[in-house]
Amino acid sequence: MRKYLGPLSKDNPILVQILGVCSALAVTAQLKPAVVMTLSVMVVCAVANLVISLIRNTIPPRIRIIVQLLVVSTLVIVVDQVLQAVVYDVSKMLSVFVGLIITNCIIMGRLEAFALSHKPIPSFIDGLMNGAGYGLVLVIVAFFRELLGSGTLWNYPVIPSAFYEAGYMNNGLMILPPMALILVGTLVWIQNSKKINAK
Amino acid sequence: MRELTDIFVRSVFIDNMVFAYFLGMCSYLAVSKNVKTAFGLGIAVCFVLAVTVPVNYLIDKYLLQEGALAWLSPEMANVDLSYLSLILFIAIIAGIVQLLEMVIEKLSPVLYQALGIFLPLIAVNCAILGASLFMQEKHFPTVAHSFSYAMGSGVGWLLAIVAFAAIRERLKYSNIPQPLQEKGIAYIITGLLGIGFMAFLGI
Amino acid sequence: MKEFSNRYIFLYITLLVVVTAVLLTGVHIGLKPRQEANQQIEKAQQILRAAGYGDVEKTVAAEKFSSVATRTERNGHEAYTIQCADGTEGTVIRVNGKGLWGPIWGYVVLADDQATIKGIVFSHKSETPGLGDKITQDKFTSSFIGKKIVDKNGNFVSVRVLQKGKENNIAEENRVDAISGATLTSKGVDAMLRNCLNEK
Repeated sequence: MRKYLGPLSKDNPILVQILGVCSALAVTAQLKPAVVMTLSVMVVCAVANLVISLIRNTIPPRIRIIVQLLVVSTLVIVVDQVLQAVVYDVSKMLSVFVGLIITNCIIMGRLEAFALSHKPIPSFIDGLMNGAGYGLVLVIVAFFRELLGSGTLWNYPVIPSAFYEAGYMNNGLMILPPMALILVGTLVWIQNSKKINAK
Repeated sequence: MRELTDIFVRSVFIDNMVFAYFLGMCSYLAVSKNVKTAFGLGIAVCFVLAVTVPVNYLIDKYLLQEGALAWLSPEMANVDLSYLSLILFIAIIAGIVQLLEMVIEKLSPVLYQALGIFLPLIAVNCAILGASLFMQEKHFPTVAHSFSYAMGSGVGWLLAIVAFAAIRERLKYSNIPQPLQEKGIAYIITGLLGIGFMAFLGI
Repeated sequence: MKEFSNRYIFLYITLLVVVTAVLLTGVHIGLKPRQEANQQIEKAQQILRAAGYGDVEKTVAAEKFSSVATRTERNGHEAYTIQCADGTEGTVIRVNGKGLWGPIWGYVVLADDQATIKGIVFSHKSETPGLGDKITQDKFTSSFIGKKIVDKNGNFVSVRVLQKGKENNIAEENRVDAISGATLTSKGVDAMLRNCLNEK
């Protein structure tokens, strides 16, 4: 069990392995798209791991990267189509970033490192957990950006209007892209401090 | 012509791949330890973008978009294959990168020495796929527009990684709190550079 | 490691491509009706908002829309006649244009004098967050209400989106303030309205 929980904290794919930040941060200006993105990545990562693990003995090694790409991109298209049908407004916000899940290094990385050499069920859980670890960072960043940048959470205002009357202002800088990076930097900092203290 | 330069300048400075969309971050963080390799990777990215985006543009225009197949026969006019664009784009990119690698190796060993090691890295660089997807979303009228967009994005990426690598070289001499070293500070610097680039928004 | 013959590899990849293609086509065809319904609902919500109904729930938007609006044409373009929230009748005109980054579009509701704006909504594909995307906010759209698209003599002038204090020869009832910091998106809105409303 321990092994599977690693990606959520001490082996977090974004914080420790700097994998997959690419498509991650642009969708973190609000909580809702970040959560939907997280779920999409979890689904794609878990199912891709499962499928590759199921067919791992039939894949000729020479074309394994292409096979992986094919499986991942098929899944991503399916997820994209489902999003458009079910949560249309969020899918508009995510726009091309759903497509970019394909090049998300976490997924390809897990396929290479885990699914090709493990049984289906552990692979599935591994994919799910890595997706979740990735999503955790997204959600934390999105939480702060939406709270401080727009004064809302999940589109509901949470900062009492008395604050605004007393002169409180939303921090417009938080909505702009660079702040996402600075927040991740801070998370890495906290993570590393914990590690050093633990030693 | 004016439009083309507009697109170019915009995608270099304002819509910078790294600072505005966080694309290509993996290789951006991994290959920016020194300016020389960063420059090499940047050039390779420009090169691949300049080839793949126009090719994908043509594919999108004559194969995928709604009504794109009209040139085959009028009955095909309302076939909409755009849901396949992701899979085709990534296949084209992977294919072209492979092809480029082989061609460069044959034609110019010098260039191959300089770019060769970076090319495989690029196939999985999200900046490349990202540029193709953004190109599709922007509905450019001609191939020239898409080419100018590709070059702009490439140069923007090159600029970002070289600037970042230069700062990182200097960083060796600074006194950074231990937990913040390496990755932590890298994110924060990128963020600060991004804020700097936001100044171009007014252009 | 097992060796695989070329023939095996070839068959393998062909099979895989066929399987994925069938799967994707199935998913696409299966979900298409719902995707299109979503687009219809969004359009209905936007037009209803422009007509003063406020935010209508997704579940009832399409029904509500068909009960108050009827499809008409205006110079061969899509338009609707709509019963507005205040009981008067209005004409909905679809406008299309280009913003800084991609397409922008919207719906204008004209009062029955065909000159006064009763309501307006805008949408965009990819304008800059925090700057250009302000065109969708009430603060901007409400500034259009009551403005006229003709001048005192009844000539078409559109509603201009201009920076405060510039081009003062244009009357107050024919202009609204541009969004500061989003000059190009504002210009796009300006051009879009001029092009699309002028087709009498």
